[in-house]
Amino acid sequence: MSRSKLSVLLVMTLASLLILSSVALAKTTLTIWAVDGLELDDPHHYYVQNLVKTFLADNPDIDIDWVAFGSEGAALNNRIRVALAANVGPDIFQSWGGTFMGEFARMGKLLDLTEELSDVPTSEAAKAAMSYDGRLYGIAPFFAIAGLYVNEGIFEELGLEVPTTIAELEAVAEKLVANGIQPFAVGARDEWPILATYMYLVNRYGGTIFDDAVARKVRFDAEPFVQAGLKIQEWSKRGFFGNTPMSEGYGDAQLLMQTGQAAMQISGSWLCGLYADPNQTDQTIGFYAVPVLEGGVGKVTDLAGMTDVGFVATATAADKKDAVVRFLTYAMSVEAAEKEAGRVASIPGVNPPNRLTGMASDVFTQAETIQFWWDQNLPPALTTPVNLTIQSFLMDDTDVKAELARYELLVEDELGSVR
Amino acid sequence: MRRKKVSQYTEEFEAPKSQRRLSVSSVLVHIALILLALIVISPLIIPFFFTFKTPLEFAYNPWGLPEKLRWSNFEQAWKMVRIGEGLRNSLQVCIGAVLFTVPPAAMAGYIFAFYRSKVTNVLFYVVMAGFFVPVHMVLIPLYQFSTKIGITNTFPGVFLPIAAFGIPFWTIIYRSFYSGLPKDMVEAGRIDGAGHFTVFMRIIFPMAKPATVLAVLLSFMGGWSDFIIGLIMLSSQSKFTMQLRISQFIGNLGANYFPQYAAGVIISSLPTIILYLIFHKYIIQGTTLAGAIKG
Amino acid sequence: MAVAQTAKRKKKRDWYRLGFIALFLLPALAILGTFMFYPIKETFRLSFMRSSGFGEEIYVGWRNYQRIFASPEFRQGFVNVFKWAFWSVAIQIPLAFFIAFTCVNFRTRIIGRLRGVYYLSNVLPSAITAMLGVFIFSPTSGVIKTFAKTTGWKWLESIDWLGNPKLAFWSLFALATWAYMGFGIIYLMANIEQIPTEIREAALIDGATQWQYAWRVVIPYVSYAIRVQAILATVGSIKLFDLPYMVTLGGPRNATVTLGITLYREAFLNWQYGRGAAIGVVIFLICLVITIFQFSFVNDHSATDQSI
Repeated sequence: MSRSKLSVLLVMTLASLLILSSVALAKTTLTIWAVDGLELDDPHHYYVQNLVKTFLADNPDIDIDWVAFGSEGAALNNRIRVALAANVGPDIFQSWGGTFMGEFARMGKLLDLTEELSDVPTSEAAKAAMSYDGRLYGIAPFFAIAGLYVNEGIFEELGLEVPTTIAELEAVAEKLVANGIQPFAVGARDEWPILATYMYLVNRYGGTIFDDAVARKVRFDAEPFVQAGLKIQEWSKRGFFGNTPMSEGYGDAQLLMQTGQAAMQISGSWLCGLYADPNQTDQTIGFYAVPVLEGGVGKVTDLAGMTDVGFVATATAADKKDAVVRFLTYAMSVEAAEKEAGRVASIPGVNPPNRLTGMASDVFTQAETIQFWWDQNLPPALTTPVNLTIQSFLMDDTDVKAELARYELLVEDELGSVR
Repeated sequence: MRRKKVSQYTEEFEAPKSQRRLSVSSVLVHIALILLALIVISPLIIPFFFTFKTPLEFAYNPWGLPEKLRWSNFEQAWKMVRIGEGLRNSLQVCIGAVLFTVPPAAMAGYIFAFYRSKVTNVLFYVVMAGFFVPVHMVLIPLYQFSTKIGITNTFPGVFLPIAAFGIPFWTIIYRSFYSGLPKDMVEAGRIDGAGHFTVFMRIIFPMAKPATVLAVLLSFMGGWSDFIIGLIMLSSQSKFTMQLRISQFIGNLGANYFPQYAAGVIISSLPTIILYLIFHKYIIQGTTLAGAIKG
Repeated sequence: MAVAQTAKRKKKRDWYRLGFIALFLLPALAILGTFMFYPIKETFRLSFMRSSGFGEEIYVGWRNYQRIFASPEFRQGFVNVFKWAFWSVAIQIPLAFFIAFTCVNFRTRIIGRLRGVYYLSNVLPSAITAMLGVFIFSPTSGVIKTFAKTTGWKWLESIDWLGNPKLAFWSLFALATWAYMGFGIIYLMANIEQIPTEIREAALIDGATQWQYAWRVVIPYVSYAIRVQAILATVGSIKLFDLPYMVTLGGPRNATVTLGITLYREAFLNWQYGRGAAIGVVIFLICLVITIFQFSFVNDHSATDQSI
């Protein structure tokens, strides 16, 4: 062979080797923004840590760039908002579905995954939470429901039965106050925690009236809303929320439950991991359905819930759709979900990791209707105002009806008047 | 004859004055100052109460002494925050913040103090107006603009906006400081034929040393403590500054893991505190503007 | 002839001088122009739109401004920031002056060591300060509550520092004073140290007490610095966001809400970026008016004889 031909052959071989090797090495990198991080050795994070580890091992052609923002000050939400506004952003991010996700979807920032994810086995509620306008945008491996946490140790000590009606609940609370124990831990300083209690009271008084109000069939200062607000105000006056409800933060509330200074809490099942962890508390805490109102409309099978952990994909990841779908599908697998230490899974076939989560799962499976958490279910402009309005019910001198009327005006601004 | 500063004379003058009249008030003053100093320091000790406990220990007895000094919280914080990387990143931001805040402010302040005219006065108000801007107001447009010029997820993208927020403040400070300096030095310089630039570099700027030390130190610390601009502009974990990492760490623990929280708090504020303790002497000493005038 | 020559010489020097001024102002103006004024211009524009910040914009004229001025939350924020500004100037500045003055004029060994301490609280990032505030005032495990429980002082135990609407403002104010006063102290210290010794000697020889010396001599001498401090404190109060938001979220029932908090709520929580922008514009204009007002009162003692 002539020298020139040899060198051409050499160059071509080198070139093809290079091309082959780069193809073989070609990895898709998924950028994922989430709340929980991968480094901390904490039961709360076992799910995501194992998820990423196992997925990377099983999918050598995909790389993951995981950025955790923590839950302080809505850092993730603010960051996403700013990034998507400039059409830049991660491929996947952690989302709680509902109307906030819906807003992103409406503006075309999210990837429509209806075909790819519709067949993933999950609960109806979870699927509905991650949908907007009939299209599915993500998955929710864990779905939280709100219920009544009860310190079973204290109840046994004082000879109390877990209440099933509001009247029983109030009687129990009176007895707790008499024994120097705070009946309810709330954490109202952080605005949103009292919402769970209010949602349930409104349901017990008026059924699914919230959906009617959002659909503008009913005003937000209709009877059931006012009654529920007055009930909260009454409970506050009777000391059921302790002496300093407005300055009690959500962290304070958890501390009260963990040390047995408070006996009950109406909150979401995301706390199950915390209250079942012997490193965090030495109390025995159980999860029960919220009591019903005798003569009221709401049933014990009406629950409030929201996405606990959910993921959606952004429109900028359209060229990585395959990798995205593989990740999201794996995130919904039984294998991945079983690593979770406390949350209630919305995937069939997952065993609850502890007794408390099991109780919450039982309550969940008996649900007939799920009311989505209001602050995930209203247009963004009405979310903080509703939390602020409800928070004000804890103060003695609040005019409940006037506050609700004012909120109604805000709603009319956004969604129009009642037809 | 060297002019001494007020403070150096004080001690000389304390003694001959009537002891009775001064000592009561000076004792009271001492007590007040010590009390105030304690009030300033005590909140800083709080995290140390928390950080050595287990979560349960903390829940039941937040303010008691821990059973054992547990360093595991620090270990966790240290590991997760990845101090080495975080320090490198924060240092770059801090140095950039100082370089792009102090010289521009010192120079602009000089013009606004010594070259007054209608135009420069208006410009001074314009620069000062930058101080009136609350951060959140500009975040979204700032990010969109930064995306267009491609400096998102870079360190200049972080320290340049930080500098933009620092310059108005320090220009105001520098201007007020320059205005208080004695003018005879400048006159002497001009008579000796010094040009504009030399007057600044050789005469005025050296006299403004306390302001400069303050500006450098505080801009540095401002860069260190910044959270919101870093959060918005950075998206790679490897570029995250110390504050972002601490916030991630704290946010990852949930609202009531106070012991670990406290470890994060200590790690995040200790460097600035140490830095300040080392350098505060230079700020408080002030200048020796003495020699230059007479000697 | 001589006049014409002088005119020509003056003109040449003018250019050089102008060039120098421009050069020295360039860095500051360039950075500010790009990273602050351009975004502000956008914000001004958006304040007349209904926008979620995502690009869809609907022109609504003055409606955002009408809405915010009609909103009780905004009005309360307005009142609160002015209250905050007033008390900052009334309490923090005299306190800072007292500390600065005594640190400079009472040079004993104890005080010499103490001087550096007062700034320490200012060194912390605001998130940490907020957390410390919660640690102190928390009703379940805060310092004050625990202290009250151990001493058995029921009256102290029953005080709701953050939940009582009348008290929450003051708890936060105390926290802010702790955090922000340090800078004022250092700044005033640096200024007081500039006072020439002859003046102090003269005062003492004339038989002045420390109080008279402070009141009659020092304060007038550093009055410009004090005014600058007042402006910084006022503007800082109008912009205030961090501490009230992170400790009480503006509550209870808007007792501690500030304009900055309403801005954040509208722009980032309610996704009403246009309204948030309008609030930003209002904050900006208030600061501008106040500063012009305060500056026009000031005849800083170096005003006229400066120009080189």
